[in-house]
Amino acid sequence: MNVIECRGLSKRFGRTVALHDLSFSIKENTITGLVGPNGAGKTTLLKIAAGFLRKTAGEIKVFSSPPFNNLKVSANTFFVDDNMALPATLNLSETLDAARRFYPNWDHQLALRLFDYFSLNPRQLHKNLSKGMKSTFNMIVGLSARCALTIFDEPTVGMDAAVRKDFYRALLQDYLQHPRTIIFSSHLLKEIEDILEEVLLLREGQKRLHLPADQLREYAVGLRGEEDTVKRFTAGKEIYRREQFGKNSIFAAVRNSFTKTELQEACAAGLEVLPVSAEDLCIYLTSRSRGGIDDVFNRN
Amino acid sequence: MKPIYLQLSEWLETEILSGNITAGEKIYSQYQLAEMFNINPATAAKGLNILADEKILYKKRGLGMFVSPEAGEIILRKRREQVRARLRELVKEAELLDISESELITMITAARKRNKEERA
Repeated sequence: MNVIECRGLSKRFGRTVALHDLSFSIKENTITGLVGPNGAGKTTLLKIAAGFLRKTAGEIKVFSSPPFNNLKVSANTFFVDDNMALPATLNLSETLDAARRFYPNWDHQLALRLFDYFSLNPRQLHKNLSKGMKSTFNMIVGLSARCALTIFDEPTVGMDAAVRKDFYRALLQDYLQHPRTIIFSSHLLKEIEDILEEVLLLREGQKRLHLPADQLREYAVGLRGEEDTVKRFTAGKEIYRREQFGKNSIFAAVRNSFTKTELQEACAAGLEVLPVSAEDLCIYLTSRSRGGIDDVFNRN
Repeated sequence: MKPIYLQLSEWLETEILSGNITAGEKIYSQYQLAEMFNINPATAAKGLNILADEKILYKKRGLGMFVSPEAGEIILRKRREQVRARLRELVKEAELLDISESELITMITAARKRNKEERA
């Protein structure tokens, strides 16, 4: 069963096109990573899915219903970001008690244990927390709500590396015990790729790639060596990135449609065959220039 | 870098080869593996399915996956083939560097001797 289904979804803000003709679906009980550069439309997409924003055109269904103004979707969806509307007069412990009454699957024991583990102060007000502590608290609420659809929109803003690691682990553990559909937008693909089942990559409001996460690492391959040799081996292939390397050498990242023998031939011809990480692949696939930032500095 | 599900299936093979999990015994579930390796359970399932396709594991409906009686034999055969393939690459490299066959054999003997000494 699909929890989210989009067909030709578009969203405009005035003259700005935030999402354009987006079609994809997200299966029940999977963890999906939503990635893409700043301004790609990640937050807009998530807010439409959560029912916070109205679409402009096309179709989106969440739990088989249009999400905007929909009680079923609201009751089963939790949206975590750094802008959560929490009652300003309640302290953290009172906020947890309030949240508990809203969500039927709420696990208060889990909330309290996480609260303790991360050494939050129950008497403190949310608005007085540091950026990282705020994110930590929001994450605790998001996990404890155990909603059938849980959306984390850049949940790790301000968290230190240790807290982020704990959060990923907590997310995976709780997901294993209580499977549900989780969407996670982040700029830190390297940190989260192992716990993801799928990755949805956006670029300028459009879908660039939607793949099982473990296929991303094999999707592209890098060849480095003498320019003419690299060109010979990459002829006819989709080139994602080309960088000058030394005097006569270049690095080219291409779609990995090589056979094993072809790669061995490339090695024999003196080329280095390098893996392209999921994170680099996403950067290559969404950057506007094929040479990257170096294009700014090479003005010849 | 090797995909995680391949790293996982190799780890399981080594567990079977070393006798930590024996023929007929139930292997870890995809959820146990996900927790152990901090990975998505779908990725863990892929690692298990590779071994099931190679008949190293077999499925019992509703009970999970078990180590097949021929598992050790299949893994050994597969690993030997991998050694052969790596050896072919090594020989190719040696040819490129003009290392003679007898010199290569001397190197292998020396390497084996050193390993033995390190173990002792």
